[in-house]
Amino acid sequence: MSELEADKLFDATLAPPAPRRAGRLATALSNAWYELRKSRTASIGAVMLILLFGACVATPWIATHDPIKQDYRARLAAPSEKHLLGTDRLGRDIYSRLLYGGRRLVTIAVVAVTLGLLLGVPFGVLAGYWGGLSDTVAMRVVDGLLAFPGLLLYLLFVTLAQAWKFEGVMIDIVLVAALSLAFMPEVARLSRGSVLGEKQKEYVEAARAMGESSFNIALSQILPNIVSPLIVTATVRLGFVILIVAALSFLGLGTPPPTPDWGADLSAARDYMETHPLMAAFPGMAICYTVLAFNLFGDGLRDILDPRLSER
Amino acid sequence: MLAYILRRIAQLVPVVLVLTVAVFGFVELLPGSIVDTLIGTEGGDDAETRAVLAKEYGLDRPVYERYAIWLGRALQFDFGHSLVTRRPISTELLSRIPATVYLAAVGIVLSMLIAIPLGTFAAVRRNTSVDYTAQVTSLVGISIPEFWFAILCVLLFSLYLGWLPSSGYVSPLDDFWGSLKFLILPAAAIGFRQAAFTTRLTRSSMLDELSKEYVDTARAMGLPERRVIFRYTLRNAMIPTVTISGLQLANLLGGTVVLESIFAWPGIGRAIFEAILQRDYPLIQAGILVLGVIVVIMNLLVDLTYRFLNPRVKLA
Repeated sequence: MSELEADKLFDATLAPPAPRRAGRLATALSNAWYELRKSRTASIGAVMLILLFGACVATPWIATHDPIKQDYRARLAAPSEKHLLGTDRLGRDIYSRLLYGGRRLVTIAVVAVTLGLLLGVPFGVLAGYWGGLSDTVAMRVVDGLLAFPGLLLYLLFVTLAQAWKFEGVMIDIVLVAALSLAFMPEVARLSRGSVLGEKQKEYVEAARAMGESSFNIALSQILPNIVSPLIVTATVRLGFVILIVAALSFLGLGTPPPTPDWGADLSAARDYMETHPLMAAFPGMAICYTVLAFNLFGDGLRDILDPRLSER
Repeated sequence: MLAYILRRIAQLVPVVLVLTVAVFGFVELLPGSIVDTLIGTEGGDDAETRAVLAKEYGLDRPVYERYAIWLGRALQFDFGHSLVTRRPISTELLSRIPATVYLAAVGIVLSMLIAIPLGTFAAVRRNTSVDYTAQVTSLVGISIPEFWFAILCVLLFSLYLGWLPSSGYVSPLDDFWGSLKFLILPAAAIGFRQAAFTTRLTRSSMLDELSKEYVDTARAMGLPERRVIFRYTLRNAMIPTVTISGLQLANLLGGTVVLESIFAWPGIGRAIFEAILQRDYPLIQAGILVLGVIVVIMNLLVDLTYRFLNPRVKLA
């Protein structure tokens, strides 16, 4: 066999096909799916999330009614062909309200968590990389923010929004600001911790020897190596944020009616709990499904990305 | 150890300062001034009343002076008067703290009673159906919104079965047995949810312990498995569980707002919630500060306990 023939044979049998440009995304996706299948939890979570995001995107097409249109002749209707999950006390279609409410809730959560990452990561990475006084000061600020007990920071922000008589999107913006501010210190602390570990490694030493600026090293060399714990934390946080937002609107501190909202709808359904228990069941199940999807996916991701932990 | 404790206490000072600046700034950021709110509730809107009120609340001074005065009073636990009830805020808050502590403490104890046996059992029977059931249950438990779970409990036990009252509170000091039936539902709602967290934690720290060498040694020396687990591994595995439960207790003190309002439980969380609905801003301010300080102190105590239980942790 000539060298050329052997080369061809190798290409045909052993060498992985070189990804074509157009196929790159598909390859990446199939690689991701291959990794995901290592963990049953992650794959179940991924399927649940795909369904969830799919429903959020497709809401205008798959919703059957206007979510805020009242129909007094069809109040408190049982599930039927016309109203898949029945109607509420004002005759609004519960199925459509769930869809629009979920779309809003998921958007708020995703924006808030992304913002939290954008604020927290540079803060933590630079503090960890620079060390010294800036690190001490930064971590004290983080401690102070972390000391705020759970719901109370949101309550402060929501009260301010109410006092200023904010309306509509402005309330959501204030809420997103509070949620991302509350997530930021956790992100900062996590990324600082990873940077401290990473800083000692040789590639950082090498980059420094080559005269790269510390800003560059921290953000373009170290950051990619500490991404996995951040992804896991962010995924789990998405579920948590959804619980918090639902709790706030359950208390009547979220967006005012008639905006479709899982927490507020659940709270309104309490008055009809004895006669129409399903009405309170649907929003509750929707919250549960969404949070469970994020938790399953986050849990599975942790096992995949951190094999040390999965051996437990 | 003493030096370490002192240093940790010193570190709390800036944290608490951040808290005070935040809650003070919150009131500063409100639209209008306190005078508007006061006049709104009392009437009599004229320049003279305004001036008197402004002087009474120190609004004629610059903001940093007001902060200093406010901070000085807050240190003496003097937060002024509630805009709604006119009673001193400190008495208002102090009377609410016992109910919250009672509920949170019973809830946490309940969760540990569920989680530690369940987590241990799941770890010992790793990868069996018992383990999977425990894992799935706790994951679902984490994902259930507590208010929904609470509502479902009320639906089942109060409305359908009629065994327990759906809301209310009786102080255990007045009538211990009478207070229990009000306590069961809210405490269970807290307990089951917290148990979901703690079960996972107990399971993983137990697995961690079981994989250590001293366990092999103990087994090789012929100790019965029961003794290995109860005498040795469980004790070590309990350290993180107890620590996290303490931290959860701190969070619960600040986070039972939702459950307290569902069950009409007269705790501090509900006091703050009512203050928000009534726009009683000084009470909101003081309530959040007090809860924040409690949480900070609880975190410190938990941390110190952890170091005490586990001397291997460096006193860094």
